[in-house]
Amino acid sequence: MKYLRLIWKNVFRKKIRMFLTTGSIVLVLVLIVVLVSLLNAMEADPSGGRGANRLVVQHATGLATFLPLSQRQRIAQIPGVVAVTPEIWFGGVYKDEKPENWFGQLSADPEIFFKVFDDATVDPAVEATWRAERNSFVAGKSLEEKFGWKPGDHIILKGTYIPVNLDLVYRGSYHAGDESNIFFHNEYLNQAQWFGANRMTGIYYLKVASGEDLPRVTAAIDRMFENSDAPTKTMTEKQFQQSFMEMMGNVKGLIRWISLIILFAVTLIVANTVAMSARERVTEIAVMRTLGFRRTHILSFILSESVLMSLLGGIFGILLAKFLLIPLIVAGGAKTALSVFLINFKVTPEIFLGAFLISVGIGVLAGFVPAIRSSQIRIVDGLRQVV
Amino acid sequence: MAIPLKYNLRNLLVRKVSTGMTVFVICLVVTVFLFVLSLWQGVTRTLTVNASERNVLTMRVGSQAEMQSVVTRDSADLIRALPGIERSAAGQPLVSPELLILINIPRLDGKSTNVQVRGIAPIGMEMRPGVTIVEGRMFRPGTNDAIVSKVLPSRFANVRLGDTLKMGSYRWTIVGLFDASGSAYESEIWTDVADLQAQAKRQIYSAVFVRAADPDSARRYIEAVKGDQRLKLEGKTEKTYYEEQMVTGEPIKYIAILVGIFTAIGASFGAMNTMYAQVSARIREIGTLRAIGFSRRSVLASFVLESLMLCLAGGVLGTALAYVLFNLIITAPTGTMNFRTFSEVLFNFRLTPPLILGGLAFSLAMGLFGGFFPAARAARLKITTALREV
Repeated sequence: MKYLRLIWKNVFRKKIRMFLTTGSIVLVLVLIVVLVSLLNAMEADPSGGRGANRLVVQHATGLATFLPLSQRQRIAQIPGVVAVTPEIWFGGVYKDEKPENWFGQLSADPEIFFKVFDDATVDPAVEATWRAERNSFVAGKSLEEKFGWKPGDHIILKGTYIPVNLDLVYRGSYHAGDESNIFFHNEYLNQAQWFGANRMTGIYYLKVASGEDLPRVTAAIDRMFENSDAPTKTMTEKQFQQSFMEMMGNVKGLIRWISLIILFAVTLIVANTVAMSARERVTEIAVMRTLGFRRTHILSFILSESVLMSLLGGIFGILLAKFLLIPLIVAGGAKTALSVFLINFKVTPEIFLGAFLISVGIGVLAGFVPAIRSSQIRIVDGLRQVV
Repeated sequence: MAIPLKYNLRNLLVRKVSTGMTVFVICLVVTVFLFVLSLWQGVTRTLTVNASERNVLTMRVGSQAEMQSVVTRDSADLIRALPGIERSAAGQPLVSPELLILINIPRLDGKSTNVQVRGIAPIGMEMRPGVTIVEGRMFRPGTNDAIVSKVLPSRFANVRLGDTLKMGSYRWTIVGLFDASGSAYESEIWTDVADLQAQAKRQIYSAVFVRAADPDSARRYIEAVKGDQRLKLEGKTEKTYYEEQMVTGEPIKYIAILVGIFTAIGASFGAMNTMYAQVSARIREIGTLRAIGFSRRSVLASFVLESLMLCLAGGVLGTALAYVLFNLIITAPTGTMNFRTFSEVLFNFRLTPPLILGGLAFSLAMGLFGGFFPAARAARLKITTALREV
């Protein structure tokens, strides 16, 4: 500890160099934090595990085929099923076709819906109005903020594969892990006389009593309709969400690779800096050795310098990321095609902690070789060398 | 007078480790940047290649994708009589009513994804000159045969020649592989439209595909569709239709911009560090250069050039690395979700000449930014103090 002052002084010996090196660490850490959070927004289970007892039933050939509504009764009768609501993915166009105006639009049975989607918190008054008014809808809080909806606002959704237009009235928001969707009445869609009105649905969304019932209920549903006109594929909510992300294909893997390569590059930058500064101090190191500092001292000094510099980069990086750059990127991204992923975009404390640990790792890796080389210098060689 | 380039080159070579590491960092950054951009370029190319202005898709008004559209048999019959449609050698109008369905099939990596199955009229093949059968044979109507793109077997299970693909109540025998010159069709399975209607128990079409003699006739046809009150359909050239799907590549483009900006600044900081170290290690040299008559401006130019050389070396290496990577190592197609069709679109990395130039320009920009401030410091040095430096 008594050497801390020496290490500190050495780190700040060349201010520009220090600033540039920590600067590159800061930039890279911010980038990694953003990329990893994007990955998380793409793949994590937004309910944070609270949706573990929920199942989604879709047509065996995929989401694009409708299921008959007659299945609802039979699913509801399976022991262990607490509540089931049919849902239809409307996929309409809001305002214009720009990707930033895209969000999930689903119809549901308002009497049942929040019994299934039970990790959502919703004002009881809002829920009551939503239930009572056939043309109303509720939206995730983030969506409300994004579009600035106020209760009573009308929105028009232009149908795409369901060729009807919907005029919906906003009634309030819900809080949940996944706030990227709006929900309106199945009945309202039926009233609009779409081709499957009162006959078909997209999926069934249901809740079972306990986790132990999941495999049994899943198997029971699929077996029940196996040989019917509409065979089903039942999966947990998490699997259902993952099935979308699997469609994103290799993009996820690519982001991972990119992050790794960038980290490697910044480690090289730091290593180069530490090596340069150690090389410039060869004479000084030799003098220190003559004064009685041991090889291990020199090793730990150089290594600590590297770690300290990276730590500073890490701390500034996290502060800058949290309070300036990430809000800026999120605000800027909301107008682009990335906005779909930004609705559930959250930078968790775990990610920041990870970034901090990474900065320590960079320091250790980058300082290792220069530290060993400096400690290996023979005093005579060091004193002889003129830089 | 300018300081000879050889001076800079030798200086770079003498400090092997430091130069090497900086070059390597720039190389990695350029490779990553090109990597993301080629991904975007790959998606873009898949959606634009072979997209013709003569081929027109007729869909329900407001449909964003063929999948979302419905065209009745009656409308399909009416379309045959519209103007602008070319006729085949046998005198038949080049009209192919098509049905698309989406199926979720397993990939070779154990996950699964959505793939489009396209039912076409037999004449539909003739209307797409970019599509040719490379192995096996064309499907025969009435047999539930199917042909798949030649890249599909490298990504999905059960789609090799001779395989039977089963999904829910659907069942096809794969009898041929086709090459679609890298277009979006290379992500699809094709079969006879009547067979598909029977299997899907649907009596409708998704879209009617029409080939016109030239872009002008195509426009005439689109006008005719618009003017026909019975149809409630709209025509879009293949080109427009796929251009609208470019949003698929947009997120990748923004990730490229994000990654590009951050890594470029980070790496040029690294280059700047190296250059600052060079300047402070060579103060006496700089003094000497000034003393023998080189101007401040020559010193400035010399150090900026040195930084440019350093970064350009990284840029060239990075581009070469990317080239080797995309042409020799990653040869299998990669895929991502097409947001409009909700199905997977397969594509290859594309390192185009503009991208190569872009990568080199990117490295030069880092060199300029990284070299300017250290060079300015070198140029500002006073001869007397510089020469006194130990």
